[in-house]
Amino acid sequence: MKQGVDISGGNTRMESAFGSGDGDDEASASVAQKAEVKGSIFEQTYRPWRGSLGPRWVRNYAIFRHHVYGLFSSKGHRYYHPMVRLTILIVFLFSLSPVAMLFLASLGGQGGFGEVLSRMWGINRYNLWGQVLGFFPRNLCMWPLLTALVVGGMISDDRRNGTSAIYFSRPVNRTDYTAMKYLSSAVVLGFVIVFSYMVYYTSAIILNGEGWAFLIDTLPIFMGGLLAGILLVLTYTSLGLALSSISQSRFFAAVAFLAVIYGTKMVAFLIESTFESSILYVLSPYDGLAHIGQWLVGIESNYDHPLAFSIVSILLINFLSLALLTSRVSSLEVTRE
Amino acid sequence: MDAQGRDLAETVWTRIDRKAGAVIELTIRQLRHKISTWVVLALGTMLMVLLLAFYIDSIRDGFESIDNDGDSVDEDRDGYPLGQERKYGTSDWDGEQFPGSGTFVYEGEIDWNDENREISGNKTWEGQAYLDPSWIDTDYKGGQWDYIIDWDSVTSCPEDQGEAFMDWIPEWSSACQLQDGTYVTNGKFRAEGNLTVPLDYYLSWGFVTGIFDVPKDPKEMYIDEDDIDWDGNGGSQGVDDDGDCLRVGWVSSSDQDMMWWEEPHNPDANRNGIQCDVIWVMDPETGEVIYISADSSVDEDPVDENYVGEASHRTFVIATGKIAFVLLLGLFLPLFLSLGLVRDETERGTLHYLLSKPIHRGEFILYRVLGYLAVVSAFILILSLFMALITSVIGPGDSLVRIGDFPVWLGIAVATILVLAAYGSLFNTIGLLLPKYGVYLCIIIGVWEFAMGFTTLISPSSSIATISVSHWGLHLIDSIVLVSWPDTLQFSQMSSAFGLETGLEWIWSPPVHTLNSSNPYLGILTSVTMLSVISISMIGIGSAVFSKREIM
Amino acid sequence: MTSEPPAVMLESASKWYGQVIGINDVSLAIDGGVTGVLGPNGAGKSTLFKLLLGRLRPSQGSVRLFGIDPWESTSPFRRVGYVSETEPLYEWMTGLDFLVTMARLHGMTREEAKERAEHVLDFVGLSDVRHKEVGKYSKGMRQRVKIAHALVHDPDLIILDEPLHGCDPLARTSIMSVIRELGNRGKTVIVSSHILEEIERITEQIVILHNGRLLALGNLHAIRGLLDKHPHRILLETEAPRELAKELITRKPIYGVRFPEEGYLEIQTSDLSAAHEILPEAIVESGIKVTSVENPDDNLDSLLGYLVGGD
Repeated sequence: MKQGVDISGGNTRMESAFGSGDGDDEASASVAQKAEVKGSIFEQTYRPWRGSLGPRWVRNYAIFRHHVYGLFSSKGHRYYHPMVRLTILIVFLFSLSPVAMLFLASLGGQGGFGEVLSRMWGINRYNLWGQVLGFFPRNLCMWPLLTALVVGGMISDDRRNGTSAIYFSRPVNRTDYTAMKYLSSAVVLGFVIVFSYMVYYTSAIILNGEGWAFLIDTLPIFMGGLLAGILLVLTYTSLGLALSSISQSRFFAAVAFLAVIYGTKMVAFLIESTFESSILYVLSPYDGLAHIGQWLVGIESNYDHPLAFSIVSILLINFLSLALLTSRVSSLEVTRE
Repeated sequence: MDAQGRDLAETVWTRIDRKAGAVIELTIRQLRHKISTWVVLALGTMLMVLLLAFYIDSIRDGFESIDNDGDSVDEDRDGYPLGQERKYGTSDWDGEQFPGSGTFVYEGEIDWNDENREISGNKTWEGQAYLDPSWIDTDYKGGQWDYIIDWDSVTSCPEDQGEAFMDWIPEWSSACQLQDGTYVTNGKFRAEGNLTVPLDYYLSWGFVTGIFDVPKDPKEMYIDEDDIDWDGNGGSQGVDDDGDCLRVGWVSSSDQDMMWWEEPHNPDANRNGIQCDVIWVMDPETGEVIYISADSSVDEDPVDENYVGEASHRTFVIATGKIAFVLLLGLFLPLFLSLGLVRDETERGTLHYLLSKPIHRGEFILYRVLGYLAVVSAFILILSLFMALITSVIGPGDSLVRIGDFPVWLGIAVATILVLAAYGSLFNTIGLLLPKYGVYLCIIIGVWEFAMGFTTLISPSSSIATISVSHWGLHLIDSIVLVSWPDTLQFSQMSSAFGLETGLEWIWSPPVHTLNSSNPYLGILTSVTMLSVISISMIGIGSAVFSKREIM
Repeated sequence: MTSEPPAVMLESASKWYGQVIGINDVSLAIDGGVTGVLGPNGAGKSTLFKLLLGRLRPSQGSVRLFGIDPWESTSPFRRVGYVSETEPLYEWMTGLDFLVTMARLHGMTREEAKERAEHVLDFVGLSDVRHKEVGKYSKGMRQRVKIAHALVHDPDLIILDEPLHGCDPLARTSIMSVIRELGNRGKTVIVSSHILEEIERITEQIVILHNGRLLALGNLHAIRGLLDKHPHRILLETEAPRELAKELITRKPIYGVRFPEEGYLEIQTSDLSAAHEILPEAIVESGIKVTSVENPDDNLDSLLGYLVGGD
């Protein structure tokens, strides 16, 4: 083995210090894995900060903003995966599809195609209910997916990466942290679910040139649907955040949320169709909401069990989720778990 | 040794199985050490226990005889069920009309301006009066809309509130008793005695003639009264046992008596020229019933115990197989367990322990998926066996154990395992192909698969749903059911032809993808082929991508 | 093929990631004994190992393990053991379990694997904790169990990526002795490090990488000796450095002196061995007391400094 020595590189002067040209051993962007050989010491002068601390709501608003603005720009805000943003956009656009139909109907004029469209997509109790609580495609495909993607990583990411330390090492207590996480998730969901509902109603009035009489007729129904939509957003957020707080990966939380929504619905459906008992629907968050929504909007219920069961069930689901969430967050260790 | 330095006799055959065994065993042990595995498996078991609880509860209740054609009701409470009233041509909405009820003859009235406001006699009265009876016909009853006073529910009058008809009036079609034993009446009744009509009120009376006595049939007579008459052969069959199709012995059989929700009577609905028959179409090769077309009101109220018990049991088995096994377990087990098979190793940084071994990376992917499959398959097999044991013991039937159920449960297990394999390889490959986007894609695919599974349940022949794994899993169960229980088609046809409420006709439908042969074996073949092709191609793609991937 | 191909052979192999160069035109062959792969962080050590383990495909040139391309075939891995620098292990397994599983991945039967695992655990000194979960091991034990995993199938080539990284001195010593022992048994062992004394204590045969280039290959001292155009230094600790300097400067291979610190004399020479030959005689003749003689250049640190063109 003792052949000649290849020192071809030795002729050229390596002007750079050791460690330059780094990045070949870990091409992925993981940082701070190896100790840097070289180091330099900078003069540190400590200037104590003598300003006054912003009020609590300012701090909380900063947390809220951090999460919500992240939807639009990741710079300095919470990182939402491009895929998540794309899905939110698609779901939002799809939930606005009745508006497009109404627009087409308004172009179609009286009689014929336009009338058919406006009859199908226009404002009535069933359409208002369906806009937030319809099972297919909204509560089968869109809302659970939306919730799973948005809420899945809210707390589990912090648990996985230890980033909750960023909050808890500052004058932010755990209640504020949880509340702001909850509020920002609910606002994102509400933007898609409730806001699209309002846009639908408003655009129907504008596009059809409806008057006061229409407004007086339909406003109570609209308010009922609005309430149902807000209830849906709150329930899904509670459930999603609770699942996020007990899992370490956003994927697990997301899939668990889908499993809860779909699993309970399908099992109840199976029991109902085989044994003619609709009681198991109280386990299903979707069906509880749909039952309450039917009552709020004033359409005939297709559940056999009393409404009170569904109301209690939804309250219980929210309560248990929030209890789980708060207990998990209060025991969240400020380290990387 | 070959050119690459491999000792063929050693490497290829003797060592490959040992390595496969080692990777598979490692995978199983890794899954066993994840909490989420146990949580998911426990939830799956709980789901089955829940279903069983409902099943056992329904078995314990027994299968009640159902009045499939709805003629055992007595809406007007005259004691004659609808079936009997139909025979006599009377209405079941008017309590005064019943078989032998006779005809009411009007005699007279006291209206608001008559001077004489007292009358006595034995009549049929209608109106408002004080009654001092010597006899009351308490058997004279009627429906809600007949205004006949129900003498069983007479209360004492609220005399502290003032005088009758001045300060208060008894409710319409009711009476109350005063303290002196007389009655204040408002409605229709039959009695003998003295009546006083208060000022400004009205009373009319008359008598009923042409009464003849018809014994009241018990309601039960009109439940299960028209059983299915079938000799096991094809062709035109069926006997209208209760005569409501042929209307034999019906005094009045005009269809105007039918209520608006009742179907207009058509004694030859199946248009074969024979009135009141049932066409049974048999498969000439298998001898199984493949189509039933019945005229209305023939064999329409069969003895439920003979059919509903069996059909409901099958509905439960199929619904459990489709919804609980294929849709829920089939989709969520892989979502929780298979995505991380290789991805977790990469993320944790333990992948190199496995890759610096003399195992081809393609093989490695295969063994990983097999390891995952070993865990979930064992779980599914145990679960389906557990379900099979319990339901086959407590299910309906003469024999102690329903041996015939086991192939179906096994088939459900196999279908679920094939679905698990397809999803497992799909999610695993997505995790490999797109390390960053994969999880999101998997969630979206999960939602898609669920929606398509749901679509397939509702409409099995939907073409868009064929672009999903769940569709083929459900289709496989449809086919397996038809193979193991060839008479399911007959039960399903009977359910829809004779109005049996079993749910069988919506949860199960004959396999669609049979290459136009309606042969269930071909249905199994197409489904298994599709699922295997998905699994194999996904493992193939995953292996190809993975073996050419540079791993940092 | 009459003779066995070398364990490791690279022929003008290059690997770059986009614009970043990992390995640049490296040709080398290693067979037998312990070889230290030396270079600062980012020199290309890990890239070299990943090429050897078939995890990366060379952008140019070829890589051979026992004459076989590791990217195309996994068969050479039967004779290779690899200890990665990364920390994770299957924490829930016991040490014995882990080794048995790894051995079975090489195609051993359960019994063979168990026997080998026990043997190797004994060799690295972990047999008393073999039934403990790996997650409960100390850092040094984890490092040793990783080495054991690389040895369990009795490989001919063992690659250790920073095996001493982060270990305490005791663990360091025991790991070093394990590596030396492996070398003595005729295995080809490749050890990488950016800490120089480590390599120095293990082996004299080195490969030096810097910025992806192969700077030197061979015996540490031979390489040093070949670099004659660079002055070699000898550091003497003495009470009277100036008197000693007068005495020595006239002698043949010594051409310069410096006084780096109080009480020290540094002499510069073009021929180190010749200088060492005359040095004892000269010191005795001068009658000046010398407390120590050091060769500050004869370690990898200064060698690397020369090779990359410093000083």
